[in-house]
Amino acid sequence: MVGLPGRGMHLGIDPLSALFLCLLAPQVVAAAVAVERKSVTFWVFVLGMVLALVAADSFALILGFELMSAASWLLVLRGDRRPDGRPPATLYAGVALFSAACLIPAVFLPAGGIAFVLLLLGAGAKAGLAPLHSWLPRAHPAPSAGVSAVMSGGMVSVALYVIIRYAFIVFGNAAEPWWGTVLMAVGAASVLIGALRCLLEVELKTVLACSTVEHMGLIAVGLGVALRARAMDDPALASLALQAALLCAVAHALFKPLLFLGAGAVHHATGTTSLDWLGGLMRCMPRLGVLMLVGAAGMAALPLGPGFAPEFLLLHAVIAAAGSGGVMAWIGFAALFGILGLSAALALAAGVRVIGFGFLGRPRSLHAAAAEEADRLTLIGMGILAVCCVLVALTPGLLLRAMAPVISEAVPGALPQALAYAPLPLALLMAVLAAVAFVALRRFGARGEREVPAWNGGFGKPPVWLPFGDPATQPIASGFAEPVRRVLGPALLGRAGLDPGERYILAPLSRLHLRLTRLAELVRRATIRQRLAFVFGALVMFLLALGLGQNG
Amino acid sequence: MVVLLLRCFATLLHAMLMLALAPLLMGVVTKIRARLLGRRGPVLLQPYRDLWKLIHKIPLIPDTATELYKIWPFVSFAAIGAVALLVPGFALNLASARFSDFITIIGLFAVSRAAIMLAGLETGFGFGAAGAAREALFGLFSEAALLVVVLVFGLISGDPTVDGIATYFSFGQLGISVSLGFALVATLAVALTETGRIPADNPAGHLELAMVHEAMLLEYSGRYLALFQYTACLRLMIWFSLIATVFFPFGMAQAGNILSWPMGLISWLAKLGALAAALALFEVSTAKMRVFRVPEFLGVALLLGLLAVIFLFVAGRLSA
Repeated sequence: MVGLPGRGMHLGIDPLSALFLCLLAPQVVAAAVAVERKSVTFWVFVLGMVLALVAADSFALILGFELMSAASWLLVLRGDRRPDGRPPATLYAGVALFSAACLIPAVFLPAGGIAFVLLLLGAGAKAGLAPLHSWLPRAHPAPSAGVSAVMSGGMVSVALYVIIRYAFIVFGNAAEPWWGTVLMAVGAASVLIGALRCLLEVELKTVLACSTVEHMGLIAVGLGVALRARAMDDPALASLALQAALLCAVAHALFKPLLFLGAGAVHHATGTTSLDWLGGLMRCMPRLGVLMLVGAAGMAALPLGPGFAPEFLLLHAVIAAAGSGGVMAWIGFAALFGILGLSAALALAAGVRVIGFGFLGRPRSLHAAAAEEADRLTLIGMGILAVCCVLVALTPGLLLRAMAPVISEAVPGALPQALAYAPLPLALLMAVLAAVAFVALRRFGARGEREVPAWNGGFGKPPVWLPFGDPATQPIASGFAEPVRRVLGPALLGRAGLDPGERYILAPLSRLHLRLTRLAELVRRATIRQRLAFVFGALVMFLLALGLGQNG
Repeated sequence: MVVLLLRCFATLLHAMLMLALAPLLMGVVTKIRARLLGRRGPVLLQPYRDLWKLIHKIPLIPDTATELYKIWPFVSFAAIGAVALLVPGFALNLASARFSDFITIIGLFAVSRAAIMLAGLETGFGFGAAGAAREALFGLFSEAALLVVVLVFGLISGDPTVDGIATYFSFGQLGISVSLGFALVATLAVALTETGRIPADNPAGHLELAMVHEAMLLEYSGRYLALFQYTACLRLMIWFSLIATVFFPFGMAQAGNILSWPMGLISWLAKLGALAAALALFEVSTAKMRVFRVPEFLGVALLLGLLAVIFLFVAGRLSA
């Protein structure tokens, strides 16, 4: 038996782990169907995640978590290199080691502030929460699409599971309000930076990874509000916020793998995922385009998409929380609300950008023009996820009711909150309105339509040797993001336009590494005389210290 | 039972009035604006005539557009139409009152905005994409400012629905509040941007480089363009009704009480007329801003929203 000496390893399933297992299942099935059936490492990776979820003691949890880290490191290592030539696997291994170094003491320490901070550092680094998020947009896009999908949908969920398991259940009774505040601050920073980078990045897979950072931030904000309310004995608010966080996790675990699988199919069909080189894919890949539309609606948190109900609950939870506490809490929640609004609009623009520049308009390269529809298995895998997305989008109320045991497990004395957003009647109403408009236009309007060259402000028809018009006259995705970069970039990203996580964490670390390397190099290159002098000097110093110590 | 029937009937009447009067409202604004500029202006019914003319033209579909080209006008209209049913007009306590959550309404506005932006990107030519990029930029700040204003309402009234907020404001002992003044200014700035009026955008603009909303519709024609233009009228109507309901809720009818309806209708139309006049007056007295000034304009709105929240706290402390 593997396990701690004399204790063994315990496994068990309670409502919380059951929820996360359910959330893992569709994406693993979809990724397996689509691409990764035969990869042993992939299945080891999945095994690690499942082990972490069904663990009933700290040892089994850490074992599963590290198995997951190691297997995913292998997968990242094997994945293709980023265009900038920097292999992300080393960075990934570093973050995984840091995460383990924080998490292992955290789970064995007694409940308290230090344990919580270590837990947040360890699991937060894995979930891609700011300020330790900047590895995620580099590492998640590196492996093949199926692995990216499960990393971005499943692995971060496991990290969240660890946070929820320890912060709410294991350490629950020692929780203090400032834990929640820290979690909210971390979440708000991730939301803002994730959403902004999600709009500015050009590679489709990087865009999706940045959106993962944003959604992890949203979930962290929800968990923070819940944790703070729990510590302040407000079970109604705590359950509302926890509902928001869990529903967001469920929705994210469905639409993000869907989008990643789609990005993989686009890469397979065109050889690139750069939005600046795609365009018009809806014409040659209509099925994939519609599936991506479902995912993008979730990513942009639009009503009738899977992402709206959690956003709705979260905003309501923040409104409810804003009334509690002193002036600092009041101002903080107002600022948080502004940040959430800004990020929601950024996410909307990013979703529009993915669809508008990837799938609509004219092809921006011959590869994009000659793309072929994705193969059947990929479409089936994505279809499974899309069906789940639509179900979650239309019946969030049922899902919340099914989640009730999880909520009452994490928040003692929880009060189930009804959802005031009713997607089914809304969908029906919109369908009726669209149908009425359609029928009225058909009945009273002119019949038929004519296909013509686009008017384009009066420019002439392009010559025959340029079937999609002059490529130089096409808007590109980076141009679409340019106004936002000009307005928000200097304030949030600095003049260099670098992610703060890279500028303040990765860059100093890399400078420190360089300096230490130089020092080591100096030692290595020292001549024999220098070494002798060094040894002699050290000896003198030692004797001097010894002598002074004896006299004094 | 009778009350429920009356409420349903009031909702139906409300929906029909909103949908029928939207182009007229646009006509009124145009007329007043022309008069203020010393012109005679088009007749009040001109927007109806324009729509009628457009739906009788055969639409020209650009050959670079995809299959979804024809779907965006309907998506945009359906979302805005749903909002028209949720935002109260002449009466409170409509059958749709329970669903009139402010955040749902903001979400539906976002759906409509996304559909228009995608319509602009549909053909892959420069003007549409430029318009969409600007719309995305404005959307950032207007959504943030609007959400902070919603937070103010939520903190004052404790009710997230538009209907509940208006009911609270019309019956509650509110007095004159600094916070609501700030919130009103912020809302007006957001409304001007969302409906594409001067100073953020010019609905009558014909210079492609300066257009935002119209630039995205440049490749649309015939019935699809008519639907987009009708949706724009409806959006103006919704914003006027929203501002009238939340900030000036006096004289509104109760949907369950048929005797209060005539008064409610009259006061609603009067409020719409006053707002139309105010909009026209504001438009002739300001110039259109440069695109990159608009975020600053909306940033001020966001700041006013935050100030409103802080004043609310101070007021709560002073009165407690």
